[in-house]
Amino acid sequence: MTLFGWGVLKGMGVTLKNFLTSYFRKPDEGGIFTVQYPEEREKPVENYRNFPFLVYDGTPEKIRCVACGICERECPPKCIHIEMELDAAGKPARKPAVFDIDHGLCMNCGMCEEVCPFDSIFMDHAFEVTAPERQKNLVRHKKELSKSNEYFKKIRPALASAVDQKRKAAEEKKKAAVPPPPPQSAGGQAQTTAQGPQ
Amino acid sequence: MPILELTAKFGTYAVMAAVLVFALGVVTLRNLFHCALCLAAALIGTAALYVVLQAEYLAAIQVLLYVGAVVTLVIFAIMLTEHLAGKTVRQNNAQSLPAIAGLLGFVSLVTVLILKTPWPVTPAALKAKTSVMELGKALMETYVFPFEVISIVLIAALIGTVVIAKKDEEDLPR
Amino acid sequence: MRGVEFYVDMIFVTAKAWILALLGRFLPDWLIVLASITISGVAILCLGPVIMMYLTLLERKLIGRIQNRYGPNRVGIWGLLQPIADGIKMFTKEDIVPAKADKIVHLLAPIAIVVPALMIFLVVPFGERMTAVNLNIGLLYFIAVSSITILPIFMGSWASRNKYSLLGGMRTAAQMISYEVPMTLAVVPAIMMSQSLATNTIVLAQAGDYDLHWFIFTPWGLVGFIIFFLCATAECNRPPFDLPEAESELVAGFHTEYSGMKFALFYMAEYMNAFTLCAIAATLFLGGWQGPFLPSWMWFFGKTFVLICVMIWFRGTFPRFRVDHLMGFAWKFLLPLALVNILLTALWQFTSNLAAWFGSILVLGVSLWILVRLNRAFVPEKRSYPLEG
Repeated sequence: MTLFGWGVLKGMGVTLKNFLTSYFRKPDEGGIFTVQYPEEREKPVENYRNFPFLVYDGTPEKIRCVACGICERECPPKCIHIEMELDAAGKPARKPAVFDIDHGLCMNCGMCEEVCPFDSIFMDHAFEVTAPERQKNLVRHKKELSKSNEYFKKIRPALASAVDQKRKAAEEKKKAAVPPPPPQSAGGQAQTTAQGPQ
Repeated sequence: MPILELTAKFGTYAVMAAVLVFALGVVTLRNLFHCALCLAAALIGTAALYVVLQAEYLAAIQVLLYVGAVVTLVIFAIMLTEHLAGKTVRQNNAQSLPAIAGLLGFVSLVTVLILKTPWPVTPAALKAKTSVMELGKALMETYVFPFEVISIVLIAALIGTVVIAKKDEEDLPR
Repeated sequence: MRGVEFYVDMIFVTAKAWILALLGRFLPDWLIVLASITISGVAILCLGPVIMMYLTLLERKLIGRIQNRYGPNRVGIWGLLQPIADGIKMFTKEDIVPAKADKIVHLLAPIAIVVPALMIFLVVPFGERMTAVNLNIGLLYFIAVSSITILPIFMGSWASRNKYSLLGGMRTAAQMISYEVPMTLAVVPAIMMSQSLATNTIVLAQAGDYDLHWFIFTPWGLVGFIIFFLCATAECNRPPFDLPEAESELVAGFHTEYSGMKFALFYMAEYMNAFTLCAIAATLFLGGWQGPFLPSWMWFFGKTFVLICVMIWFRGTFPRFRVDHLMGFAWKFLLPLALVNILLTALWQFTSNLAAWFGSILVLGVSLWILVRLNRAFVPEKRSYPLEG
């Protein structure tokens, strides 16, 4: 119909329909898709990256990080600060004593996760982080950064299970690569081979 | 209730004084826009006086036509000119004294005329109330000729406006 | 013995009479008169801004639903305390006046725009015996007072000393003047058929068998209602006629330079104007407070509420008019249509039988067709500017 004013009425019909069905339709069908934060939350996608965290297996003492310093060197804004723990004799103990990441500098790029060879630093999903002061509380220390492997499995199940499988396979290969203790009957052969050049 | 009547009288005199003050403001203020606003206020005050004198129809028409249309036109004209509140605009005139003398003479003449005319203020006239129906009938029966002449004048004004506004188009290069 | 409906209907009138009787015990007569005026005045002064506040909330919720989102729902259940939060925000904002602005006029403009908006409440018949002041020139008073609204817009736009405000103010004033003419002419048929200017009498003239005599159910009434409603939408500067105050066009037009309470007053005047114009439209064409079963004031507020929802519906649906389309619509379409409408009403005064229906629809159809043909947008011919040399 090309009556004068018909388009106006059609337009008003469309808005009326949208108004009435907004009470009934689900978000996927074209209804209201507002997620009313903080009562409802959207589940973040698995690969959503927010801020790094350190993984420990079991207790916080068994932190996977060995303080190699690769992430510190690779970080573009240089927001990571690592100091190796020294044991009683002054030798490096393959654990970080200090692991600081500055919230103000970190740009959530995920490079530290990509370059870590020990599967110890990954990107977290927690974004509801506040600090009352800019200078003090925005630097996150090792205690706040360490989170358990169960937490890791909860937020990033696919990656966590892949990492776990990889680590288990590596461990089993290491166990299989250790040579079995030599039996007593084959001692002569072993000794012959073990003697080498005389 | 004498207190209310006294208040009404006092209020009427206050409105009259306000109208006079605003009218004075129209001619003496430096800023032309303020003058236009004082004009609007004076006309609204006049409408209030019409209400006091029990001519509500006239008051409504006064507001509708004067304040709603004439003052709007005046303000449009003011806004389209420059040099509104210039300090260069002379406020005083060298001929103020003869003007005031002439004005006083005119006012006294008109006052004497008003006081001496035998206005037909009869009880019947005082009790008469205008109703819209009577006004309509009068317009259509007794005063139909002025009514038609006014409508012709208005049509002429409208057509003249359209012609004047349209004339500029023909000067554009085609 | 009158039924319960009568008492519920008269609830406000009885309340006022009760208060006056209470005061009459220890106050002299002349104070009773003043008290009576004060009670009506206070009722209107409280009703107006409260209506305006909840109108803003209603608008935001309805527009939100049309646009597939919730409206405000954080402050109180369903956002019912949102207008209070808005009010607190407006009160506590800093009042910024431009340095070279005309301070007196800048202050007076928002004050002067609220006064006519409130004055119109006086002649609106809220219920069967609830017109605040039953003037016998009620409708003319309404038209006259709503034409004062143009002045404060000029004042506001001029005093802001801002090019955009001035442009917006001129456009607003031009729009309001242009749309006043068809509005007044659209009201004339209702006056002709009810033989009176008093609003309550116009409502009573629409009484009839089972509310079939409302003016909207006649051809001239329907056309008159549509013209009046469109002009009313334009008079309050509501979308789609809100070019003068749209954010994307003129940064809020004539009230750009106003902040805090002054802006709140402009805002209040716009919404109160919208309410009163819808109320007058309901009075003139939709039968005012008439309706079965429910008390009269409930019917009145219901009809006005429906009309306001239609205005909000317009806002959610249409893009803005361009300024030349805006003026052309008023002068070239609505004005001739309103004049034809008056002719039709004159015909209707003599007969209202089937022949009159047929004749009216024919005349309306022909005149609409002519107007649409005449108003068709034309594309100017392409001009060619040959290069010299």
